[in-house]
Amino acid sequence: MKDSKAGELKKQFIYNLIRSSLPIIGLIAVCIVFNILTHGSMWNSRKLILNQIYVVMISATGVFFIMSMGGLDFSQGSILGIASIVVCLLSGVNIIVAIFGGILAGAAIGAFNAFFYVKRKIKSFIVTICTMFLFRGFIKYMASNSPVAASMKVYDYDTTAIKLGITAAVLIISFVVFRFTGFGIKLKAIGAGEKATKFAGVRTDRVKFLIYVLSGAITGLAAFVNIVKNGSATANVGSQLETQILIALVLGGMPISGGAKVRFENVIVGSLLYVVLTNGLIMMGLSTQMMQLIQGIVFLIFVAIFADRESLSVIK
Amino acid sequence: MSDIRLEVKNVSKSFGITKALDDVSFNISKGEIHALIGENGSGKSTLTNSLSGIYHKDYGSFILDGKEVDPSNQVEANNEGISIIVQELGTLDGLTVAENIFLGHEDSFVKMGIKNTSAMNRKANELLKKYGFDRIKASDMIDDYNFEDRKLVEIVKATYFDPKIVVIDETTTALSREGRDELYKHMKRIKAEGNTVIFISHDLPEVLTLSDTITVLRDGVYIDTVKSSEIDEDGLKKLMVGRDVTGAYYRADYDEEVSSEVVMKVENVSVPGLISNINFELHKGEILGFGGLSESGMHEIGKACFGASFDRTGSVTLADGTHINDIPTAIAHSIAYTSKDRDNESLIMNQSIRDNICLPSLDKLSNKAHMLSDKKLKTFADEYAKQMSTKMQSVDQFVSNLSGGNKQKVVLARWIGKDSDILLLDSPTRGIDIKVKQDIYQLMDKMRKSGKSIIMISEELAELIGMCDRIIIMKDGLISGELPRSRDMDENSLIAKMV
Repeated sequence: MKDSKAGELKKQFIYNLIRSSLPIIGLIAVCIVFNILTHGSMWNSRKLILNQIYVVMISATGVFFIMSMGGLDFSQGSILGIASIVVCLLSGVNIIVAIFGGILAGAAIGAFNAFFYVKRKIKSFIVTICTMFLFRGFIKYMASNSPVAASMKVYDYDTTAIKLGITAAVLIISFVVFRFTGFGIKLKAIGAGEKATKFAGVRTDRVKFLIYVLSGAITGLAAFVNIVKNGSATANVGSQLETQILIALVLGGMPISGGAKVRFENVIVGSLLYVVLTNGLIMMGLSTQMMQLIQGIVFLIFVAIFADRESLSVIK
Repeated sequence: MSDIRLEVKNVSKSFGITKALDDVSFNISKGEIHALIGENGSGKSTLTNSLSGIYHKDYGSFILDGKEVDPSNQVEANNEGISIIVQELGTLDGLTVAENIFLGHEDSFVKMGIKNTSAMNRKANELLKKYGFDRIKASDMIDDYNFEDRKLVEIVKATYFDPKIVVIDETTTALSREGRDELYKHMKRIKAEGNTVIFISHDLPEVLTLSDTITVLRDGVYIDTVKSSEIDEDGLKKLMVGRDVTGAYYRADYDEEVSSEVVMKVENVSVPGLISNINFELHKGEILGFGGLSESGMHEIGKACFGASFDRTGSVTLADGTHINDIPTAIAHSIAYTSKDRDNESLIMNQSIRDNICLPSLDKLSNKAHMLSDKKLKTFADEYAKQMSTKMQSVDQFVSNLSGGNKQKVVLARWIGKDSDILLLDSPTRGIDIKVKQDIYQLMDKMRKSGKSIIMISEELAELIGMCDRIIIMKDGLISGELPRSRDMDENSLIAKMV
């Protein structure tokens, strides 16, 4: 009996190892495959690809927190859009004011989401789908006739050092907070069992509220990077960002219902994998329609692998 | 044909790395009540769940009346003549009583694709009447009935079609005395009709009076099958634990004076629909018991004192004047609470033992910069889990894989780690075997002696009488009586105040 127990333990260990290393193996495999298929032109355009990672990776960090506690956020694209317009409008005044303006705008929408989710107790995906349309409407109203242009000053900040620096700072701070303070444990506990977490003394409503505000603020910061990169906000700014983030996180091995199996690596590996995959497909000459098809299939496969079926019912 | 109803042959079943059943073989006869006993995690429920199609066994076979049965769900099991009343709630919300009774067998009421609801309700009402449960109406939603009545509906559901084997898994702990009597009556009826009852219970006196034959399991292994007329309680305990159970069970002292120092004062506490106008004081080093029927509101007392009740009025005040109105304040002021609903309110199932134990103590465990180290968390969790002798592989294991008794140990480890001074224990030994019960009683006694105060809410009168300095009896949301600790107290004097 002892032997069979050890054997089972080993089997489970190997299974967990495969589960946690699949995204990394996938990332390496995708990089190699596309480099061979494109005869190395992918490597040569690495700067271009890197340029697309920042926004996704920064805002995915906020959504990572939300998903850890079992929530979802579909309004990320609209948050990025509104915050981008705010950054553009304020960039003429002062760049620091513009950055904080973006963050505040994001946090405000996050608080708006949180109010309906936490105080009015509406499921998060319903609230955020509503706010997605609501704020997309605002963006269209502001930017339909002509894109909202930022002051020329923002181009001074369009350097890899600044963009990469902001991304790295967000990741490192978030990682340390998530991994080495009680914050991460509380978030995962809420994801795994909210009622019991409340009975263990965690102010769950407060944590949930703060996380939505925080996630909005982080995406507000991503809006600054977005404007530095693009120079103006169009009516489509940030459109589909929420899907990109969701796919990225799931590709990174994030269980869709959050909980104990969540790891911070999911953000980094997932964002990289997503951006490399989409760029690889574009370089292969695939049309946008085909891209969506393939993304959909890959997304489904990963969800199927990483879904924690026992706790799927707890998506909030 | 012999009088053997069911042959269990070499049945094995594993959950991941845990071997729940290991090559179990024994026979069950016709027309008997066959009890299945063993400690938590000994494999009783696993065995009956495999028999009734809830789980699927890994190896072995069940031979019913000479024919192998291998149901893949409960409906198939019903068709083979096997039914089960499960430990937890086995009825579905959102359906009527009749729909619950005939769940999976609606076909018999369907004509040309249309369900004949009135025929179904009529049949269900007839059955309910036959069983003597007239107050339950077939067309009502099941949600309108309390836990106890829903269990009665399950009795009808599991037995109306005269199955050859009825499994009753740990149902009595959830029932009041009346409900138990109803259940016993039907068990005896099934037996008299020549069918078999497989009865799982932790209550050994109950097992001894009711059953004809008793099979003992330990750690998933078959130990022995004995006639209940040829064994006593101590003999059973010995078979279950595998050694003599020695030492005190309940606390032995009687005439000890309880300190007059009040640590918690509860004044005019009401929770709409559950309790009203509750007043009492908890003293230092006291074990204060709350007893009553399960719907008497006593379970809300724990929540109310923990600041977890919804819409509570009145005040809960500590010795230093702090008012307890929410959970974080309660925990910060050294109050601990273990819920009757262990799996939902006390523990985060899909989370490690480590995080479950550390959660309320995170502030204490973090350094000045609010940082935590994995090693410190692990050592902390390990220390208290081991102190409670929790059976586990490591503290990184998920709580969901533990047995009931070990889950409760994790809950207690959490609060011992927090070093709480006031413990609100709601049904601390619910569904737990004697060995762990004994551990918990001894722990309570030790805590009491070290000056900690305990409120113990329990449906088991014996443990209230055995452990408490004072017992408050609840009835219909009100306090109906209070009894001091005494040698002469018996269950009847408590029951008289309960009903």
